[in-house]
Amino acid sequence: MRHGIFVGLLVCAAVPRAFAYDFAVDLRTIGQGYQVRGFAPDGSNELLSRRRLTQYLDLAVFDIGPSAWHGDDGGRNLFTFEASFRLDADFGGYLLGAPGGAAAIPELKQSAFDVLYAYFGGRNVGGRLDFQLGRQIHFDLVDFYSFDGADLLLHLSRLVALEALAGTEVRGELPVSSPIYELDGTSAGSRDPATRPGQNAMLAPMAGAAVALGPPSGTVSARVAFREVWSATADRQPGDPARGVNFEALSLTAAAHWRDRVTVSGGLRYNVLFDELDDEQLALRVKLTSRQWVTLEHDFLAPTFDGDSIWNVFATGAYRDLRGSYELALPRGLKVYARGFVRFFAATDDEVATTGPYAGQDVGAAAPGGRRAEGGSLGAAWRSQRGMARADLYWDDGYGGRKLGGDATARFRIRRPLELEGRATGYTWRDDLQGGGGNASGVVFGLQGGGRYQLGPGVRMHLLLEDNFGTFYTSQFRGLAMVELDAGL
Amino acid sequence: MKRGALQVTFAAVVACGAALGIAAGLASASPAVTQAEPAAPSEARGPSPLIYPGESLPIRFDHAQHARLGATCEGCHTTAASSTTAADNLIPPEAACRGCHKIDRANPSKPVAAGQGAARCDACHVDARGGGWMPGSDGGVVEPPRVAMPRPNLKFNHRLHASRGIGCALCHTAAAGQGMVTRADLPMMASCLGCHDGKQATARCSACHLTEPDGRLRVQLATAATIAAGGSGLLQPSGALRGFDAHGPTFRRDHAQAGRDEKYCLSCHRRNECVDCHGGVVRPPDIHPADYVSLHVVDARRNVPDCSSCHRLQTFCVGCHQRTGVSADPSGGQRGLKANNPFGTGTGVKQFHPPGWARDAAGVVIATPRPNSHSVQARRNIRACVSCHREESCLACHSADPTRGLSVSPHGPNFAGTARCRFLSSRNQRACLKCHALGSAALDCEP
Repeated sequence: MRHGIFVGLLVCAAVPRAFAYDFAVDLRTIGQGYQVRGFAPDGSNELLSRRRLTQYLDLAVFDIGPSAWHGDDGGRNLFTFEASFRLDADFGGYLLGAPGGAAAIPELKQSAFDVLYAYFGGRNVGGRLDFQLGRQIHFDLVDFYSFDGADLLLHLSRLVALEALAGTEVRGELPVSSPIYELDGTSAGSRDPATRPGQNAMLAPMAGAAVALGPPSGTVSARVAFREVWSATADRQPGDPARGVNFEALSLTAAAHWRDRVTVSGGLRYNVLFDELDDEQLALRVKLTSRQWVTLEHDFLAPTFDGDSIWNVFATGAYRDLRGSYELALPRGLKVYARGFVRFFAATDDEVATTGPYAGQDVGAAAPGGRRAEGGSLGAAWRSQRGMARADLYWDDGYGGRKLGGDATARFRIRRPLELEGRATGYTWRDDLQGGGGNASGVVFGLQGGGRYQLGPGVRMHLLLEDNFGTFYTSQFRGLAMVELDAGL
Repeated sequence: MKRGALQVTFAAVVACGAALGIAAGLASASPAVTQAEPAAPSEARGPSPLIYPGESLPIRFDHAQHARLGATCEGCHTTAASSTTAADNLIPPEAACRGCHKIDRANPSKPVAAGQGAARCDACHVDARGGGWMPGSDGGVVEPPRVAMPRPNLKFNHRLHASRGIGCALCHTAAAGQGMVTRADLPMMASCLGCHDGKQATARCSACHLTEPDGRLRVQLATAATIAAGGSGLLQPSGALRGFDAHGPTFRRDHAQAGRDEKYCLSCHRRNECVDCHGGVVRPPDIHPADYVSLHVVDARRNVPDCSSCHRLQTFCVGCHQRTGVSADPSGGQRGLKANNPFGTGTGVKQFHPPGWARDAAGVVIATPRPNSHSVQARRNIRACVSCHREESCLACHSADPTRGLSVSPHGPNFAGTARCRFLSSRNQRACLKCHALGSAALDCEP
C-alpha cells in the first residue's frame, strides 16, 4: 500500500502541470474506379479499368510543453509534431497480368506505403530559433524539395535570419518514400547497365544554407539560398568517380510591396552544376482600383535534371513566358477574369542546319508548331456563403497543338449537411506533331455530378461520378468516393 | 442489362447529377439567397463580413454633433478603455445617454427646452421602415428594436492599446467627424499594420486573428447570418497584405509567386493541403478536365502547366504509358508485342512519331536536323520525351561507344570548350561516363 502511494506520488510529480497538448487526427479514405484510354494490340482504342484505394493518415500534436513556456504573448517556444502517411494500392487492368521476371515493368512497382512528412518542430524557441527535425518538405519560388534531416532557422534580428539544413534527399527507391520530390531524368527501371540504374537507390546527402533579409511581411524582403545534393557512386568500377553532384544551385528570391497597391516579386536560380541561370522569374501585381487587379509575369526557364542524367546535355533549349491576367470584382461575390500567356522557345545553337537537305535553313522555326505557343482563358466565378459557380473558356494554340474548350462548375449547399456539385466540360483538341490525324485530334465531353455530406462533426463523405464521351468512346466512367474523418482532442 | 444499356443509364444518371448540381448553383445565385449575408470576403469596399459580421443599428446618432458639443469617446463608451476582448459590447447603454438626454420612459413624447438634448424615443430609435420609433408605432411593440452587433472574429484588447497611449481616433479615424458610425467604419487590417509592423508591435497574424489549436488562423468563420442560412464563411486573403496572396479566380493555377514564402502559406494551410494536390493521386478536375488522358498530349508537349509540379515524369508518365501501350520499352509494355504496338517505330498500325523523326524513308538514320526530326523537339522540351523514354533510348544511338551506338553526338557545336561541359564534368562525371569511356579525352572537355 505504502509502495502504491509512493508510486502514485512519483507519477503525479513527474507529470508536468499546465501542459496543453492539442492533437489533430485526419483520416481520408479515397476509393477511385476509372477507365483510361489505352491501345489494344491491334491498334484500336480500348478502355482499361483502374481501381485505386488511397488512405491518408495525418497526425499532429501541437503545443507540446507547459503553457508557461509560451511567454506573455503566447508565441514563444511552440513545439509540434506533424506527420502524414499514405497507403496507395492500385488494382485493376493495369496490374493484373502484367509481365514479370525479366520483362517486368519497374515503373509499375508501387510504393505502397509512404511517409510524406514526419517531423518534430519548434517555433520561436528562445525568441530566436525555428527548427524542424525529421522528414520535411520545403518550397519557395524556384525550389521544391523534401529531405530527412534537420532544418534550423536562427533569427539574428528582426531583419536578418540565417538558415541551415542537412540531411538526405527523399528518393522514390528508398523505403517508405514517394518519388514525387525526386529530381527527374534518371530511372531505376533502365535495363542498360551503362545508365547505372542502381544509382537511384543510393542515399543522396543534402546540405544547404540561406540568409533571409527583411521581415517576410515587410516592405522589402529577400532570401539568398544555396543547396547541394550529392551521392556516392553505385556499383563503382575502377576509374569511376567516388561521388557526383546531383543538384547544386544558388538562388535569390525577393519581394517588395508598396502599400497594398503594388507588389513586385521574383526569383533567380544559378545552377552551379551547369554554370547557367536556369530559372528567372519576375512578377508585378497592381491593384488598379479597389475592384481591379492586373498581374504581369515574366519567366525564363532552362530545364535541368538530376546531375546523373544525360538529358542535361541534350536539353539545351529554354523558353521564355510572358503572362498577364486581369481580375475584376463585381458586387454580390462575382468576379470575372481574363488570362493569357505566350511561350517563346529559344533557338538552340544548332537549329540552323549546316549540312544535309536543310543546310542553311532554320529548322527550329520550320518545326511543327514553330517556336511559339500561346493561350488564354476567360471566366467568371461567383461565390456566396452557401456555394459557388464558375464558368471558364480556354484556348491554347501554337507549339504542341490546339486546345479549345470550357467548363461550367457549381457547388451549392442544399441544407446544412448536404452539398451538391456538378460540372460540364467540352473540349476539342489537335496535336500539331502528327497534323491532327489518327489518334492526334478529337472532341471530348464530360459530365460530373456528386455531393458532399457531413455525416457528423468531423466526418464527411464525398461522392463524385463522371462520364466522358467523344471521339474515342461513347462512355468513359470515373467514380470517386472519399470518407474524411478529422478529430482534435 | 447489356453493357451499352448500362453505359447509357450511367451517363443519364451522371448527366442528371451534373445538371442538378449546376442548376442548384445557378438557383443559389438569386438575390433571395445572397441577401442573407453579404457575399464572401471582398476586397472591393469595407471590411469583410467574416471579420465584422453584419449588424443591426435601428438608431439615429450623430457623432460629429456630439463631438462639437464636447462629448468625448470615453464619456459615452465608458467600458471601452477597460475592455480586454473583442467580444465585449461597447455600445453605450441608455444610461449613458441620460446624462444629457432627460429620458422618461413613462413619457415617450417628453418635450424639452430648446438647446437641451432630445428626450423623445423617436429622436434616436428607428423602426423597421427607417422612420422614428415610438411605443406602439411599430405594430404595437412597446420595446424599441435592439441594436445588435455580433462579436467580431478577431482578438482585440482595448485596454492594452489605451494603456500604451493609443487614442481612440488613431484607429477610429472617421468616428468623430461623421454621423452614424457603422461596421463599414471599423478599422481594417491596413490600419493595424501601420503599427503592427514587427517593429513597433508584433506582426504575427495570430495576434489579431482567431486561431486553431495548432496556431494556424481560423478560416472557417461562421456568423449568425451564415449559420441561419445553413452555411459558414471561408476567410481568404484579399491581396491587401501581399498582392499575390489574393485567392482570386486564377489563384489555383497561378500561386507560385504567393508560394515564395512557405511560412506565410502555412499560417493558414497545413502541409497536407499542398501534398494532397501536388501528390498526383487524385486528378483535380479544374486543372485536368474531363478525359485529360486524351487532352494531355497538347499540354505535355509545351509543358503548360508544368507537369513536374505534381508528377515525377520518369516514374509517373513512364509507368502509365507502359500500361496503356504507349511504350518505348523493347517489350512494348504490358500490351505485349512491340510489332503490334500502335506507337512502335514503323511496324505497328499507327506511328506515334511522324515520318522522318529518327530515320528517313529508307530506314537510314537522320544525322542532320530537320523540321520533323526528334533533335529539335528534344532540345526544346525533352520532358515530353521523358514520359516514354529512359536514358537507354538515347544511348542506343548517341553513345560514344562505337560498339553499342551510332556515336551521333547530341552536343551542340563547340560543346567541349564550354563552361557547361567543364562544370558538369568536374561535378558529376557519372553522367559523362554513360556515353564516354573512361580515359576518353572528352571527359576533360577537350575538343
